[in-house]
Amino acid sequence: MIPETLKKSLQARVASAITAREAAVDVMKELQAHYGWLTDEAVQEAAALLGLSPLQVEELATFYEMIYRRPVGKKVIHVCDSISCWCADCDKIIQYLKDKLGVGLGGTTADGMFTLLPCCCMGMCGDSPAMSVGGVPYGRLTPELVDEILEAERHKV
Amino acid sequence: MPKLIIDDIPVEVAPGTSVLEAARSVGITIPHFCYHPALAIAAACRLCAVKLLDGPVKGIQMSCALPAQDGMVVSTTDPEALKMRALVIEWLMLNHPHDCPVCDEGGECLLQDFTIAGGHSRRRYQGKKRTFQNQYLGEGIHHEMNRCIECYRCVRFYQDYAGGTDFGVMGSAGRVYFGRFQEGALESPFSGNLVDICPTGVFTDKTGRFRARYWDYQFAPSICQHCSVGCNTSPQNFQRETIKIVGRRNDQVNGWFICDRARFDKGYLNDPQRPREPRLDGATCGYDVAVDAAAKSIAEFVRNNGADKLALVGSTRLSLEGMIVLAQVAEAAGGAKVCYFDDAGLQQGSLAAAKLLHEENAAYVKDIEQAQWIALHALDLMEEGPMLALAVRKAFLAGAQIFLVAGDTLPACKALPFKYTSVETLDQVPFEGGGKGVIICGAGSKDPELLAEMASSGAKLVMLQPGPNGFAAALLTQQHAAGPLAELVAARQVQAVVCFEADVPQTLLSDLEVLANADWRRGAVEAKAPIFLPTTTWAESDGTAINYEGRAQRFERSRVAGLPLKGLDPKYYGSATEAVTLHPPRVHRKDVPGGAERDAWQVMAQLIERLGGEPVEPLTGKWRALKSLDPEGEGVRILEMGLGE
Amino acid sequence: MDLPLFRHNRPNRVVTFDEYREEGGFEGLKKAFSGMSPNDVQQAVLDSGLRGRGGAGFATGRKWSFVPRDLPGPRWLICNCDEMEPGTYKDRVLLEHNPYSLIEGMTLACYALGVRHAFIFIRKGYEKAAANLARGMEEAKKAGLLGEHILGSEHSIELDLHLSAGRYICGEETALINALEGKRPNPRSKPPFPAIKGLWQGPTVVNNVETLANVPAIVANGAAWFKGLALNPEGAGSKLFCVSGSVKNRACVELPIGTTLGDIIDGACGGMRDGKKFKACIPGGASTQFLKPEHWNLPMDYDTVAKAGSRLGSGGVIVFDEGHCLVEATLNLINFFARESCGWCTPCREGLPYVKEILTRIENGRGEEDDITILREHVKYLNYTFCALAPGAMAPLDGLLRDFEDEVRDHIVKKKCPLK
Repeated sequence: MIPETLKKSLQARVASAITAREAAVDVMKELQAHYGWLTDEAVQEAAALLGLSPLQVEELATFYEMIYRRPVGKKVIHVCDSISCWCADCDKIIQYLKDKLGVGLGGTTADGMFTLLPCCCMGMCGDSPAMSVGGVPYGRLTPELVDEILEAERHKV
Repeated sequence: MPKLIIDDIPVEVAPGTSVLEAARSVGITIPHFCYHPALAIAAACRLCAVKLLDGPVKGIQMSCALPAQDGMVVSTTDPEALKMRALVIEWLMLNHPHDCPVCDEGGECLLQDFTIAGGHSRRRYQGKKRTFQNQYLGEGIHHEMNRCIECYRCVRFYQDYAGGTDFGVMGSAGRVYFGRFQEGALESPFSGNLVDICPTGVFTDKTGRFRARYWDYQFAPSICQHCSVGCNTSPQNFQRETIKIVGRRNDQVNGWFICDRARFDKGYLNDPQRPREPRLDGATCGYDVAVDAAAKSIAEFVRNNGADKLALVGSTRLSLEGMIVLAQVAEAAGGAKVCYFDDAGLQQGSLAAAKLLHEENAAYVKDIEQAQWIALHALDLMEEGPMLALAVRKAFLAGAQIFLVAGDTLPACKALPFKYTSVETLDQVPFEGGGKGVIICGAGSKDPELLAEMASSGAKLVMLQPGPNGFAAALLTQQHAAGPLAELVAARQVQAVVCFEADVPQTLLSDLEVLANADWRRGAVEAKAPIFLPTTTWAESDGTAINYEGRAQRFERSRVAGLPLKGLDPKYYGSATEAVTLHPPRVHRKDVPGGAERDAWQVMAQLIERLGGEPVEPLTGKWRALKSLDPEGEGVRILEMGLGE
Repeated sequence: MDLPLFRHNRPNRVVTFDEYREEGGFEGLKKAFSGMSPNDVQQAVLDSGLRGRGGAGFATGRKWSFVPRDLPGPRWLICNCDEMEPGTYKDRVLLEHNPYSLIEGMTLACYALGVRHAFIFIRKGYEKAAANLARGMEEAKKAGLLGEHILGSEHSIELDLHLSAGRYICGEETALINALEGKRPNPRSKPPFPAIKGLWQGPTVVNNVETLANVPAIVANGAAWFKGLALNPEGAGSKLFCVSGSVKNRACVELPIGTTLGDIIDGACGGMRDGKKFKACIPGGASTQFLKPEHWNLPMDYDTVAKAGSRLGSGGVIVFDEGHCLVEATLNLINFFARESCGWCTPCREGLPYVKEILTRIENGRGEEDDITILREHVKYLNYTFCALAPGAMAPLDGLLRDFEDEVRDHIVKKKCPLK
């Protein structure tokens, strides 16, 4: 169940859209922000808000890279593996992240803090290799910098 | 009219025709998966590649999405086009399982056909095949996602064509998945069409899986007998059992599709409990013995009580042939009464509708699809004529306004695949002089004055009949001034009945003597009749049905009558002199076990002969024109032939 | 020279509304609203020779001219800021430094096209750019430069942000329209083209951020001025080049159209990194062919790069040195495209993973002679897809087989990557 205030604001968002569907991505993102991931319950709530069936929401949810339909950690690490980051040896950084977090790609750390996901070009090519942690972009990564970032992110609310 | 050349054949087609359809018009089948005549163009599978050698467009093109234009020179056999098509098949086979022998679609699989046709036989790809989890989709359809070739036909049918919202496409790239949000029975009453529309074995008919191969089936063109729409079907039979029923194209009636009732509701055909033996006073007897007894009983009753105290009772389940001959039996019995309806209200409405409709005002399906407004009058469309809901949906999608008049409390309104406005009376439907409007109602139990009011609106009319052959029953009721049985009984005008596929209610039966009963199903009448004559169903007989718009359609015998071989009682295996074993028959029998059923009209004809009448032929006189009706054609509207007058 | 896009940029922050105005910002808008007809604005853009900066390079003025002006119902303008082409980050850099050129450019485009409501479609991850735009739009509204009755005229123009959730295919204009409508972002079939039937079935123009951001300067300074910015006679304007890979100074720079490849790398980027040797580069984002050392002095313009067998594309220059294995680089690119396929049409959905499997084997020393044949078949036949994603994916593979076939063969013969 979502709080009444969130529900109201989402209803307002849907009402202001040209068609209800136009607000679908916004609604999914807001519900994901609330639950941490887009739970089955959230899909059903989104459907009710948008006047769609849960399946119709699922059709959209499963298309987008940044909508999570499975549980994720408190913060999701998206590490770029596209060409510019490849040039900057992102493979090493990805391996370092895997080793450090003790998870494979797609895995969530035992403490539920981080989920590690590869992602497509983040538009940080000038600062490759790059990743984002909980939506915050970081570039020019080195193992040392990764250590610092994870430590800081772990304690940042 | 664009003129083009396809494989050296000059072709002229209507503007807007695709190259694929133009080729088809001269007998060239360009391989395709995503293309389906009933669905919007997707151009997704890329199999229908052809090469344009000259004209306004050049090079490799997808023929399904390319409108034919003047001066095009098309090659379907150019090496480049062949290579493209071979690659598409190779791409699809990267992940499709190589296990046709254990797939229920094997033998009727478009992918199988085009894989062979495309010459793909060697696997070059060294990667693994991707796999999916299947979903439970209900008791009708089995789901096997690994076989999917992502042509998107299913979702385009289910959502776009049929208006379902609980099945669709999820994921992207190679993870595209066609299914439901969560496991569960598909909600659309048209879900069964996924079986027909899937070009491979993702959706198969769970009610008949692994019973037989396509080439084992006995087929014949048939007409669904569940409601008065008269959808065209093709029952697939094997060893005296109707295994599956699939839709058969008729653009004037059902297009390509059928509803789930037409497809899945078939258990009664194969029911081992069906009464299959003629009986006399509770004991099995020979068919002729039973007919003789029936004739004798009729003659005796007439002698003792007068012919006018006897009624020959049919129903809307009878074929047109049965209905015609039923009246002749009454005549042969010395002027007995004839009834096609029990209920006075149903008869009145049915008759009024048949009288009101004429060639100009009786809506064609196209009229529904192209209407600007449609009024559904106190009608449970999903019950009385589900396939018309899809025609209404087409109009709705094209912008028509739909009104539901006095129908809010009807149960199936929630399931209607279109949005509508509820109003209380027909007067509240805003239309001017009819326009391109259609009124759809159920004719049975309707006040004839109300029906007449609808007819005077200038709108096209759909008046659904009570029962599959109600229109024919109305015509014959009119012709023979037949009365409803309930009224005749109440007025004590009838003391005894002979029933042919008639479901006389228990309340009437208590005041009646049943001399004989002919039917293919059990019921109260059968229990009361001393003489029982088993008849064939529509699946086992030839006949004619007239649908709600007065369209006569021929159905053909799709299999012989008799008990299905599967589950056959071992008593049929042996002969009188041999012991019963559990092995299939070693002894050749002349008779099909349980195969004594006869077509109702033929039983009637035999009765007429026994009663001293002339041998009869049902489709004579004014019905002669229907004798040559093509079972694979579109049927004929008898209103046009003047037969309805 | 005073190039139009980056001239307002501050080193480490976004330019303020006042700074932008002081430096001549919104002069184009004022000029247009005080005496130019919508047609004049469109003509200026047409005359300027501005070409689509998103990658395809189609003449912007011509694209606008396809929009029928006599149809009833609304027309739409969408700014495509779904910048997800690997190696491309120019729109982000532009918007993180200056959202106003885009806002002014969109307002001008709306004026020219008779659009009342326009959208900016922004990819996931560009929240900073989105925030700048949101603030900039508020400021412009307050100043009467956007919203109701712009500059006191009868023209009202509304701008809306649409924040996406991350998919490369949304950058394809018809997929973008579906995404904006809240449908699955599969591309639509063309025809009908968006200019006739696009967003909610209305006539729609979709332009890239950089394209629209050029419009104010064109209107303010005239088409001739813009044309004159280019170094080559056929060219027009400037281009944002965003360089990554083996250069000393990876940067997004604005340079005149016609600047040579060598000048971009040696001049703006300070040369190759660590004294490495230039082996090849991808000049315009992931879906373009390789350029080689012989192209060092190639003027970077749409037609010149096309003549050299590649595309100027988005201006995302990815530089490889002699230590880079181009089989692996191509594999990386194909992996991206395979992952980002929408799954609609067969060749893209199935063909790209096929190519990926083959390149993976070759890179890992398990390649076979037949593989090159199969790859070439894909290069040719993946052109017949529903949209341009797979043909784009084939561009680097085509380049690899054309220019570096020896390197591929070396992998197969030596049964290993020769660079490892």
